[in-house]
Amino acid sequence: MNIKKIFIAFLITLFSFSYAVAKDVKITVWAGGTNEADYYRMEAIKMAADILTREMAIQGEEINITVEGKRDFGGWGEFKQAVTLAAEDGSAPNIVVTSHLDIAPWSQAGYIVPVEDYLDMDAWPLNDIYDNLMEIAAYNGIQYGLPQDAESRPFFFWKEYLKGIGYSDSDIDALPSKVASGDYTLANVLEDAKKAVSMGLVEEGYGFYPRVSNGPDYAQFYQSFGGELMDSASGKLLLDKASMQEFYQFFADAVAAGVTKKNHIGTDWGQWYNEVANGKAAFWHGGTWHYARYTGKEGNDDFFGTIQFTLIPAGNDRGRANTITHPLVYLVTNQNDEDLQDIASQLVKIASEPRINSLHAIESAHLGISKQQSNVGLYANDQWAAEATEVLLGSANAQPNHLQYGVFSEAMWAGLESVWTGSKSAADAVNDLESELSSKLGDDLLVR
Amino acid sequence: MNRINWFGFIFISPVLIMVLLFFLTPVVMTAFFSFTNMSTSTGIKGGEYLINQETIKEIKKYNIQKDTIEKLENAGYSINEEGLKIISEKYKESLSNEIKSLYFGDKFSNRKDLERALKKLKKNKIKKTRDRKEIAEIFKESIINERFVSKSIFEENLIKLEINQNDREVIIKESYTGWSWTNNNFKLIYNLPSSYKFAFYTLIYVSFTLTFNVVFGLFLAISTFYLPSKTASTFRTIWFLPRILPPVLYVLMWKWFTWDTGFISQMSTYFGASPKNWMMDSPIHAWTVIVLINGFVGASFGMILFSSAIKAIPSSMLYASEVDGANRWQQIWNIIIPQLRWPIMFTTAYQTLSLLTSFEYILLATNGGPGRSTEVWALAAYHTALQNYAGNLQYGLGATYALVLVIIGIIASLFYLKFFNFKDLVTKPRIEG
Repeated sequence: MNIKKIFIAFLITLFSFSYAVAKDVKITVWAGGTNEADYYRMEAIKMAADILTREMAIQGEEINITVEGKRDFGGWGEFKQAVTLAAEDGSAPNIVVTSHLDIAPWSQAGYIVPVEDYLDMDAWPLNDIYDNLMEIAAYNGIQYGLPQDAESRPFFFWKEYLKGIGYSDSDIDALPSKVASGDYTLANVLEDAKKAVSMGLVEEGYGFYPRVSNGPDYAQFYQSFGGELMDSASGKLLLDKASMQEFYQFFADAVAAGVTKKNHIGTDWGQWYNEVANGKAAFWHGGTWHYARYTGKEGNDDFFGTIQFTLIPAGNDRGRANTITHPLVYLVTNQNDEDLQDIASQLVKIASEPRINSLHAIESAHLGISKQQSNVGLYANDQWAAEATEVLLGSANAQPNHLQYGVFSEAMWAGLESVWTGSKSAADAVNDLESELSSKLGDDLLVR
Repeated sequence: MNRINWFGFIFISPVLIMVLLFFLTPVVMTAFFSFTNMSTSTGIKGGEYLINQETIKEIKKYNIQKDTIEKLENAGYSINEEGLKIISEKYKESLSNEIKSLYFGDKFSNRKDLERALKKLKKNKIKKTRDRKEIAEIFKESIINERFVSKSIFEENLIKLEINQNDREVIIKESYTGWSWTNNNFKLIYNLPSSYKFAFYTLIYVSFTLTFNVVFGLFLAISTFYLPSKTASTFRTIWFLPRILPPVLYVLMWKWFTWDTGFISQMSTYFGASPKNWMMDSPIHAWTVIVLINGFVGASFGMILFSSAIKAIPSSMLYASEVDGANRWQQIWNIIIPQLRWPIMFTTAYQTLSLLTSFEYILLATNGGPGRSTEVWALAAYHTALQNYAGNLQYGLGATYALVLVIIGIIASLFYLKFFNFKDLVTKPRIEG
């Protein structure tokens, strides 16, 4: 009798247990260019998994999602190699967080699938995301990804040195609008940097202290002098020779004037951050996310008291004050499994909810992706997010999603390097750039 | 006799396998890649057929019929009997009927519009976004933005759109997303001014580093030869350090030594000089440091080889010379160096080949800078094929750079074999003949 009871009990447990066993799904997220402060890029997907599991349970589908995140890839180069090789091998992660510039080559290669195949783009929260950010995550008119964060790349001034060369508090406060209107230009930057060096406020080479490696930042200076990256009518990449030459010349002049170091390129990033965050340089440019690093690891307790930020000033009459936003995007990879791709798409959608995205935005000092974030207390009450959104995001543009943009960008940088280090004159560098790009890009290039 | 030959093969097989795996296969693959336009966007394993806005732009450049483009561009989604039939079979008849009653005969230019229309269904609400998209796809007439896995399926779809054969061929060619065979990479390298610069830098790199390797290796070997053996081995171990240190660490130490925050600058500030980046200040600084970095690594190789060769010189010759009153210089010049002829030539040959293809220390130290003035050929191959900030890596072009090095390497090897009279060196001892 007893044995029979136990047996029945056993059967019942077994039955109920097997009934309750949910479908297990493992989602991997690889995030490129992701520092410690950016952990919400992966954490948001975990939160989304929790919500999606609950939603599906209510609809009667038991599912158990485990999310695995990975962010330690060395650098962007290693990350991109890892993703492409994994995709060729068929073992790509389900979700990648990467630059929007990867959309063109990766979609062409078939590594990623359009999220618009799985998501209702008219519905919450996607209908609340800024249109220009959505456009950046699309290619050839197809919505491949969703913006993960927004940022922009401002010009920074160390307030104390501005005062040192004769600026009053109200002058400093008026600087952002003077830059925006084009009254304060890169020529003024050079002039003021020279003063800061000659008055001994900063050491030689620290008047203007730019980014130490290639990045979207340098395209901003090309735009400052009237350059455009892509011809909107033909969709071709655009080499504006006059603007390029003036842009190169600006850096050559900065070196000649002793305000920028000739061998600045390749300076250690750690050293660079520490120096700009603590007033070793007079002027520099960086990204909105630097706020987290300056006030965190580098120990600047009074960001707003010590640093002023503006758009990148215009360089000449043809150019404009500008800033480039280089949003990272969530992309869903091709897994040859519609269900998995669907789940991954749902997860990135949920992770884009204003409340969840604000966690990342504030924790890592990035900007929000959707309008409603200004109604999320956490976001609205953060001085940096609020001010940076107001001063910068309105004038921000992005680099083009074009298959050959990588070649263009690398060649432009190589030219700048050679002028900067004094191995070529600006005019020679531009001519070399033209011949290099014409052979490499052929019909994809328009020279003006 | 035959049996012995087989034994030979068995004994040599591990080496053969290694050569096959680690030398021959990469070379063959490099040659193969170099004749393709392979890049991130083409993928490696082949491609599919896809028409998108880009493709249409390309197609327009050919001389094809106007209505072909219209057929491709303007086709959208249309609610027709055919589609409704599929819906009633695959889903529900009532769903098919409701769509029919609301939208029969309607045309939608894109999927979004049709999806919005489908959301308005009342009786047969489609709950899941994914289902709604699938149903919308059934009414699709255009083939834009759709990936076709094979040429035959793609062509069938083009035929359905009544596109003539001539135009079909153009479209098929332009819409293929994978790589194709080409010799453009070679033309491009030939035409690019930067190629000649990379070649020139490689020449500088190889000749200077090689000279340093051999001369310094020789100096170390001879100077330690005259030291007491214990002291000599201590010195040799010290000079061997650069070779056994991990390259990343070794180069990092050079950075600490030469950068403007490093040792030299710190010391020179005591004497009133302003700090300076001794590695990156100018191309000459960079080249000096690179030759030293690589030179110290290579010198240890020469040192070991020359030291053992010196030991093989019969000591009686040295004693005899001393009896004859020869000083150290005369010993070195008239006895040691002539006897080292073969090891010196071997080191030269071997190091030329390995320097041609090595770039890791340059990558770590200057990464080709300042201003690309230390971008040697092998580094250019690496940068082209494996590093691009904005994503599209050019595997094909990079492989072509690499193939040029392989060819130069093979020619140089053949030359050295001839020059050293390799056959003489490996002839069987006459005593066994």
